Amino acid sequence: MVGGKVNSGRMTALLVGAVVLRLAIFYLLPGLSDLLAGRVEISTPVTSFKRLQEGLFLYQHNVSPYDGGVYHQAPLLLPLFSLFPNFKSFPLGTYQLYIVADLLSARALQLIADSGEAGSSALFTSPRREKRWTGLIVAAVFLFNPFTIATCIGRSTSVFTTCAILHAIAKAVSGAPFSAMVALSFAAYLSMYPLLLLPPLLLLCYDRQHPSCAIKSAGKFAITNILVVAGVLAALFQMSYFMTGSWEFLSSTYGIQLTLTDLTPNVGLWWYFFIEMFDSFRSFFLAVFWLHLSCYVGGLSIRIRRQPLAVLTLLLGIFAIFKPYPSISDTSLFLALVPLYRHVFPLMRYTFVEASVILYATFLGPSFYYLWIYAGSGNANFFYAITLVWNLGLSLLVCDLTFAVLRDEWEVERPEMVGKEIRQI
Amino acid sequence: MRQLFSLLLLSLLSFVCSASSDYHEQLVLRPLPLSALLASFDFRSNITLSAFETHNFRFFPRSLGQILQYANTRELHLRFSLGRWDAESWGARPWDGAREGGTGVELWAWLEAETDDEADHKWLTLTNALSGLFCASLNFIDGTRTTRPVMSFQPEGDHPNSTENMHLLYGVLPHEVVCTENLTPFLKLLPCKGKVGIATLLDGHKLFDASWQSMAIDVRPICPDDGECVLQIELTIDMVLDIERSKRPRDNPIPRPLPSHELMCDTSKPYHADDTCFPADYSANQDWTLSQVFGRNMKGICPLTDPAVPPVCLQVPHSRRVFVSSGVVEKKNADGTSRCFEISPKADFEMIFPRPEKTDGEEGNAAQAEIALADVVKPETPLLYAERSFTGHGQERGGVQTILRNPSPDTEVEFIYMESLPWFMRIYTHTIEAHVGGESKSNGSLIEEIYYRPALDRARGTQLEMRMRIPPAATVFLTYDFEKSILRYTEYPPDANRGFDVAAAVITILNRGEERKAAYTLRTTSLLCSLPTPDFSMPYNVIIFTSTAIALAFGGMFNILVRRFVAADEGPEAGLGKKLSAKLSKVLERFRKKKTAVEEQK
Repeated sequence: MVGGKVNSGRMTALLVGAVVLRLAIFYLLPGLSDLLAGRVEISTPVTSFKRLQEGLFLYQHNVSPYDGGVYHQAPLLLPLFSLFPNFKSFPLGTYQLYIVADLLSARALQLIADSGEAGSSALFTSPRREKRWTGLIVAAVFLFNPFTIATCIGRSTSVFTTCAILHAIAKAVSGAPFSAMVALSFAAYLSMYPLLLLPPLLLLCYDRQHPSCAIKSAGKFAITNILVVAGVLAALFQMSYFMTGSWEFLSSTYGIQLTLTDLTPNVGLWWYFFIEMFDSFRSFFLAVFWLHLSCYVGGLSIRIRRQPLAVLTLLLGIFAIFKPYPSISDTSLFLALVPLYRHVFPLMRYTFVEASVILYATFLGPSFYYLWIYAGSGNANFFYAITLVWNLGLSLLVCDLTFAVLRDEWEVERPEMVGKEIRQI
Repeated sequence: MRQLFSLLLLSLLSFVCSASSDYHEQLVLRPLPLSALLASFDFRSNITLSAFETHNFRFFPRSLGQILQYANTRELHLRFSLGRWDAESWGARPWDGAREGGTGVELWAWLEAETDDEADHKWLTLTNALSGLFCASLNFIDGTRTTRPVMSFQPEGDHPNSTENMHLLYGVLPHEVVCTENLTPFLKLLPCKGKVGIATLLDGHKLFDASWQSMAIDVRPICPDDGECVLQIELTIDMVLDIERSKRPRDNPIPRPLPSHELMCDTSKPYHADDTCFPADYSANQDWTLSQVFGRNMKGICPLTDPAVPPVCLQVPHSRRVFVSSGVVEKKNADGTSRCFEISPKADFEMIFPRPEKTDGEEGNAAQAEIALADVVKPETPLLYAERSFTGHGQERGGVQTILRNPSPDTEVEFIYMESLPWFMRIYTHTIEAHVGGESKSNGSLIEEIYYRPALDRARGTQLEMRMRIPPAATVFLTYDFEKSILRYTEYPPDANRGFDVAAAVITILNRGEERKAAYTLRTTSLLCSLPTPDFSMPYNVIIFTSTAIALAFGGMFNILVRRFVAADEGPEAGLGKKLSAKLSKVLERFRKKKTAVEEQK
């Protein structure tokens, strides 16, 4: 009991520290928050706060925000933000909302870490599970990650998607499939791609059901939960329809992610590829890119069936690289889940390379962007090249983590191989 | 006396209007300050609607008439413009700004159609046909450059019965360079085809060398209270010529410094001496001849023109002396600042506008300045000054700032400000702000009404109309932010780094009180917006690099997921490299054996 108290005290201190840090940045460096809000690495066309403000302005003046090329975010964000006082005159309300979203994400992350799911799932128990970080540390790594802070200060709406995804996982881990599905539906409603997390999340929920009210049949369980997701999504869409008065929002919010009509630069691989793509091949490559993005879901879910949380982590890493409008907020979500796998870190092979490549790209990216857009002494290839490096670094990290997780599984069968050189055939 | 005169004029006008098919042309010359000369050519003809419908075109250009009929156009306004009207020194615009457009080509028309789609279809027909007729890229006015203004434009003609089905469409091409190939078809629309009359003065070299020029075509139905409705076509050309520049000889066009005895110096300056010279205000000292300014003489008058309308008028005070060629009758008008010339049909017309002779000794500078003022008609102050510019730097985002100044000390001015912006400028309406100069806080009451139609990527441009009110003697700063989007590489023009032209903002000042007719129209200059550009030389490289990055990630992942783990010393002798080297060594061994065998045989 005493330990728990100390822990909760520490957690409170951590949360207060995170809040103070964020408020300090908001108030002591007001220029920084506007600067970050305008950065292409943080604000993509589908998450930008400035576009949200524009949508809100149009919504409040009875112009459909979806009858234009600026606002591509979910309709229900509009009434949510209308509740808050005008950002220009009273920004604290909006700041609070973003800080609270971050804190809720940290709380969910702490629950996931403390459940020990990463080390021992229902079907698999890692021999190294003892070597793990507590929820407090994992939450601290998330809250004080510069990427997370930058996303929060830049007021990107992907903060809410992150929060919903982490809650979906936390609920799944604590054996509440229904809440998990509702949270996932919210995440999918906000930015569509989390729908691809449904299969591994279903597996996680299935594995962690409460024995008292468990549905034994896997098929029945899956259908029930898919129906829940479909129902919640339908309800959300219906609400959006009533709010905006037309189905226009579907093509504007989700259609743009499928067709990539807005080619604003970001840290991903899509924008420059589709700027330079020949018109006749555009739709073909859009299909290929989406197919590529979704093909990992099946492969990983089957191969790492025994650790659904690992699948979720790896998928989030892959989405941070290959989704149409990625930003560093997606990377921060992936990096928030990676510390759960503290026990397999010793099995990773290229941690130094990965860390240096990510740092290299983080520092060089903004300067190359500056050279291209402002100084004019570089061209688009500068920024493109650095996004390639960034994505290669991240994909190396994802592959390496996959390797470590699989080797950890394999060493259960071959305990004598610990620490020995291996190869793959 | 004045009333009588205007009454006379009115009756004359009504007579002109009621005549079944008439035509007149007139050139008005007005010296402007700073060695500029405004020349306004006006060609106007009427045709009854019944004659028009039975294809009895008479003076109405047949080619244009058929296009109008085919596209069900009720009213048409087409503008070709170049240069900038310098309102600070030239004052109010000719025709109250009603006959000018922004830089490039502007077209607006009222089409009769049942539905919006039908109107769009007819608009497409109209723009394509006009494009062929005027040798201009009007066919590039597509959906992204077409808007349907709500407040800015009102029909100029009378549309007694069919206003419900009329659709106003407005298209603008700011990038179009207006040149001689547009003038030739324009002259062909005239009944005298530019062979005689004032149109002989229209020379492409001079017209497109002007500081500012605007060619306008207006077609509108006019229904007098008594009598039949007529369709009126009015072709106007306004240009501001730089006299100094025009007088430069053709064979020696390079500007060289004048010899010192030809310099016009302001002798009132204290530092004026033999070796120093402050250039004098030229306006009072204009001296030119018609053939110098236009490059040729005027040949007779068009025999079809209405003899009641004098072909050439000059707006200078009566005190100024003007010499004309023989056979020309000078008639001074009652207003004291204008005179007209009656020209015999066959004679050439030449006019010499000499420097005013210095009376009462030349040393009195104050007196000289007074004479200078009296020798040109003082420019009228416009109702509003407007200038628009970009703010910010970089190719990511920027802002637009329009400075609007109301010069009147006691009346406020109400107007409609209209922008039609290309879709790749994503404007943020929540950043629109208007504040009076000097006050830091934005003043909400300046903007009374906003009509905003947001842009849709690759489909439609932004349309922004604002009704504003500016208090007397105030300067208002109107600002908003926008973001520049990056395009697909095929959507850039060949000169992508030059930038993209942004059409002029149209400011329509409303009449006070009565029905909402425009009292004065002005346009800002067009802007050049530079967008971020990709590297055009490397589509293949980008496709290859990105595909490689994806293949690396996918390949690495696939490898790890699909292959089995074994200890380094277990499993088959794996590896493509090892297999290959094994095979290679086998082959080499065999070869060596053969070699040794051969050597043994030897």
